[in-house]
Amino acid sequence: MTTKQTPAAAVAVSATIDGVTVRAEANETILHCARRYGIHIPSLCELDDIDHAPGTCRICQVEILGDGGGQAHLAPSCITPVEEGMAVMTHSPRARAAQRLQVELMFADHNLDCVVCKRHGNCELQDVARVVGLDTNRFRDPARIAARHVDDTSPALIRDMTRCVRCQRCVTVCREGQTVDALVMTGFGQELEVGLKHGLSQTESTCVSCGQCVLVCPTGALGEREEIDTVEDFLYDPGIVTVFQFAPAIRVSVGEEFGLPAGANVQGQIVAALRKLGADIVLDTNFGADVVIMEEGTELLRHLVEKKRPTFTSCCPAWINFAERHYPAILPYLSSTKSPQQTVGVIAKTYLPQKMGLDPKAIRVVSIMPCTAKKDERVRPQLSLDGTDEIDVVLTTREFVHLLGRRGIDLSALEPSTYDNPYMSAFSGAGAIFGTTGGVMEAAVRTMYYVVTGREMQPIELGQLRGFEGVRTATVDIGGDIGPVKVAMCHGLKSVRGIVEAVLDGTADLDFIEVMACPGGCVDGGGSLRSKKQYLPHALKRRETLFSIDHVANVRQSHNNPQVQELYKSFLGSPYSELAHQLLHTYYTDRHVEMTRSVKDIWDSITMSTVIY
Amino acid sequence: MTQIAYGFWDGEVLDNRKGGSGLPADFAEPQNLDTFDDGNAVRAFIGDRGFFVMDEQVSLLDAFRQYLDRAAGQSCGKCTPCRVGTGLIRDALDALCRGEEGALDLDGIAGMARHITDTALCGLGQTCGGALIAAIENFRDVVEAEIAAAPAPRQHGMSYVTAPCMEACPCKINVPRYIDYIKDGRPEYSLGVILQKVPMAATCGRVCVRFCEMACRRNLVDQAVGIKTLKRYVADLQSGPNPLRFASDQIRTPLGPEMRVAVVGAGPAGLSCAYHLLLRGYHVDIFEALPEAGGMAAIGIPSYRLPRHVLKTETETLSALGGRFLFNRVMGRDFTTDSLFADGYLAVFLGLGCQEPVLLGVAGEDPAMRGYESGIGFMLKVHDHIAGTRKTELAGDVVAVVGGGNVAMDCARSALRMGAAGVHVIYRRTREEMPADKSEIEAAEEEGVVFHFLTNPERVLSADGRIVGLTLVGMRVTEPDKKGRMGVEPVPGSESDFACAHLVAAIGQQVQADALSQEELIGLNRWKCVAADPGSLATSRSGVFAGGDCVSGPGTLVQAMSHGLKAARNIDDWVQHGRIRFFPRSRIRQMVKDNHMLAASDIKIPILNEYRVHHPELEPEIRKHTFDEVEQTIGQEEAYREASRCLRCYRIYSVVTQQPVPEGAV
Repeated sequence: MTTKQTPAAAVAVSATIDGVTVRAEANETILHCARRYGIHIPSLCELDDIDHAPGTCRICQVEILGDGGGQAHLAPSCITPVEEGMAVMTHSPRARAAQRLQVELMFADHNLDCVVCKRHGNCELQDVARVVGLDTNRFRDPARIAARHVDDTSPALIRDMTRCVRCQRCVTVCREGQTVDALVMTGFGQELEVGLKHGLSQTESTCVSCGQCVLVCPTGALGEREEIDTVEDFLYDPGIVTVFQFAPAIRVSVGEEFGLPAGANVQGQIVAALRKLGADIVLDTNFGADVVIMEEGTELLRHLVEKKRPTFTSCCPAWINFAERHYPAILPYLSSTKSPQQTVGVIAKTYLPQKMGLDPKAIRVVSIMPCTAKKDERVRPQLSLDGTDEIDVVLTTREFVHLLGRRGIDLSALEPSTYDNPYMSAFSGAGAIFGTTGGVMEAAVRTMYYVVTGREMQPIELGQLRGFEGVRTATVDIGGDIGPVKVAMCHGLKSVRGIVEAVLDGTADLDFIEVMACPGGCVDGGGSLRSKKQYLPHALKRRETLFSIDHVANVRQSHNNPQVQELYKSFLGSPYSELAHQLLHTYYTDRHVEMTRSVKDIWDSITMSTVIY
Repeated sequence: MTQIAYGFWDGEVLDNRKGGSGLPADFAEPQNLDTFDDGNAVRAFIGDRGFFVMDEQVSLLDAFRQYLDRAAGQSCGKCTPCRVGTGLIRDALDALCRGEEGALDLDGIAGMARHITDTALCGLGQTCGGALIAAIENFRDVVEAEIAAAPAPRQHGMSYVTAPCMEACPCKINVPRYIDYIKDGRPEYSLGVILQKVPMAATCGRVCVRFCEMACRRNLVDQAVGIKTLKRYVADLQSGPNPLRFASDQIRTPLGPEMRVAVVGAGPAGLSCAYHLLLRGYHVDIFEALPEAGGMAAIGIPSYRLPRHVLKTETETLSALGGRFLFNRVMGRDFTTDSLFADGYLAVFLGLGCQEPVLLGVAGEDPAMRGYESGIGFMLKVHDHIAGTRKTELAGDVVAVVGGGNVAMDCARSALRMGAAGVHVIYRRTREEMPADKSEIEAAEEEGVVFHFLTNPERVLSADGRIVGLTLVGMRVTEPDKKGRMGVEPVPGSESDFACAHLVAAIGQQVQADALSQEELIGLNRWKCVAADPGSLATSRSGVFAGGDCVSGPGTLVQAMSHGLKAARNIDDWVQHGRIRFFPRSRIRQMVKDNHMLAASDIKIPILNEYRVHHPELEPEIRKHTFDEVEQTIGQEEAYREASRCLRCYRIYSVVTQQPVPEGAV
């Protein structure tokens, strides 16, 4: 097969922007070029990090002066290429007036109840209104706002179209970044909004709740189902024993909210903050990660002996959603081991009360996760313990920050504290790196090597697994009867899709595949803090900190975590034991979504100027 | 000639209010704008480039309210100024019409219109405010007087939304809208838009000659949008795991059992006519001489361009809608128009096609000679070869194809696939004048077909009743004639002999003489095609309509399907109303066409170059040996990218009329 491509002529051009002589690449936009020269043009819908410039908000208008007596005209700088000799004014009276009017028009049907919006004070629309100097709001029409939809059907994501500016960033990141392609534009004119494919609701749709759309949304239109009050109620109730856990990635991805450098490790401050909030017991999800390695590693070794290949990891709930919704045929290849979050929940409601003499019914487990899909995972029917939830509330990183804000807690001002729970808070370096792509694999290999050979792997850090490409493959010799194992790590669902299709069509030669649905892994999960006008700017710094936590850890293998050893010794028996199987393993179901429409259905809902039938 | 009272067009202010009827010297006189339908004067006309007022008493406020109402209703909502601004202006004009104060005063309206014009994303927003700005700027006295005299009367009229690609399409498919739906992530809606006009979307997405792409304004930036490619992308979803279902429940008003129409010929025209009649509730029987449906699409287009299963899926749609195919029924042999009427059919559509080959008319030519083939005859052999019913091997032979149309290209490329040692196309004019699709010519060249331009056969050479070669003569271009068309003439002394075992004469076809006997009372024209009224497609015999190649001569698939659509509408009118009603949209189209309104429009704001997507295709070295489909469907990612190249060149045209616009068929 061949695909013909016509190459674009690559000739750089000279022009002026606000009188500054600039040199632009062929086909470079005015906005892009202006940024390189430090010239600011107000903009909203465009997001360069995901290569998104739909040219729809029309705020980034500039005036292009006519050459040789020609007429000056306005142009949207995000999609207009710089041409040779072009003279661009970004803040001429005409450009400013157009920018300002555009923002005012945008407010005609925007829900301006800002004080109850999650993005209040952290909103790109508020920012741009200030930047263009908006001073009136003449066209606001409450009827139009009321006509827009709110979809609150999902346990994870809420879509509030009354706050949507129709920038379509979410559509692009879902379609091109993640290839989930769950989001579509529905309706025309004033009724245009973002909807789900096939007219389904959020919860029944092909959406996998990865939450990458939330990270790019400039306003409060997209967000998680907020559950901070439930946590407050737990904390207030003296009859409840509150158990908190927080994910590996949380400690390295929350500091910047409190003025600390991106990637700063604030584990000790989080422990201190949770105590200050009134948490009864503070655990670490990293402990759960170590247990997962014991289970998943054992499971994988069995598969290798049985020549059943490949095995996919199962700790990422958006990946589980993706497999169930989009590729049910891949489900038999998924590890049955529960995620670290659920593992901690189950053990905290069985083993922990035994050890501590607590009433299991009084325990409420709260997870703090960089993830929106964890809220989906929490309510999966197969993840319940004798009819009660394994996890009672999931807070995203963002909600956690809000909770701290409610209590006036500034992480940066807290003295770091340490864990005091002797049963479920210790973790190895292997558990710590779970939060980044390749980390689960590296942790598993360390333990499998030991199980097979009886020796610790040397060197312990597997540089060959630590790249950042979407898909990385390696062959790792874990010795003994098993020998070389072919592994792959993929992050971002676009890469994942490729691997899954390769496995299904038989072209993948792999034993073990680590999957993280979000690009970069949990350090950039869909529950992370938002970055205005940027997408995943801190990925690598957060990742480095996780590796350094492992590097200086006293215990670097999951099987050497003394609390894990004690758990198996005094409670579970051995990995993959009957009790372990009952508590720490799960199953998956086919939840494929089919389009089943007739021509009549389509014709009944087509909007067009002239409809024949 | 249309009398203009006042107005504005292409930057020129026109004002005859104080007497006179003149127009500026170099102003192209408006054509054919005075009367809408019979006895119904056009009082005003509004378009993208300005407006004309013929009747000074007309209310501009109400005329523009109507116009902007259409704009607001048509706005896709993607860009802010058009989404919000068009509605604001419409509401403000509406308030002024009612004598109330709206959110915008007259200056506010003009300012908002300018803002939309200057900053909207697509052609609709960029052009829907221009006429209004011109009216307020140049005829403010008129508008202010109207405001003072409010309320303004509600006026009769209609508006029409189109785009260059839509006007170029014989079926008037709403191209920007089906591309919108792809962009939006709803390809099944996109297919729904196409299916409103044509039953054969996947076929059209493969073999259409793409009038739309020739008209595409993206040509002014880089290359036309891959409209056909996108059509194929959405149509091929029908062969995926979740096709859209066709069923008789989509027929809104099923008619009684007596409402039967006969369609003769299951080619593109007949299938289209049957489809639209079925959707209008009729009971349709389709009579076909061959044992399968598709007509020229089945026998005239080789499977490397149109796989049989694609066509089959689409013809099955007709059965799903309740249509009945009657195969191996030959007109003139098994039935006649009389017998059809006698059998209770209320109307007849003739989509007979053109299967009678045209001879070269040179010395030594004898169609009975071994090695002699007509284009259509050869394509029938190709069809049987692929179907496996009758193999034709050209192993080691040299094949000469005479002609320069798509049929000639199909014959040449098929001959290669059947093992010919060499295939030569002989065409009497230049390459630029070849009527075949450029892409077909290029594909043939890539596969190794040899072209001889400005060359013509002068004599067919034979021995023992079998073709052994041709005498060819070189041609040269003559001076242009009065119509500007260059002629060609033989170059004396340039004769040479060319050895070949097969000659395919692919220079045209005509209606088969024995299909229509004199007794049918259906007139033919001087090209031996069925004479049908171009507006109604009615033949000389009452109740009999005709379309497709048998009316136009060998034409395109999309043209034939447009005939089917038009005939179905007119048959419906004829059966239900006893006459063919006025069709308002056609009338506005004619106005747009007569005044070249869609022609002049340059691109003011520079646009990023994004070159068009190409079909993945089989390598020439592989494909020339097989009848497997050469072009493959593009993927989702490419479809999104290609769809985003559409500039959405929508334009709105509206008329204010003296009387209500009569209701016509849709």
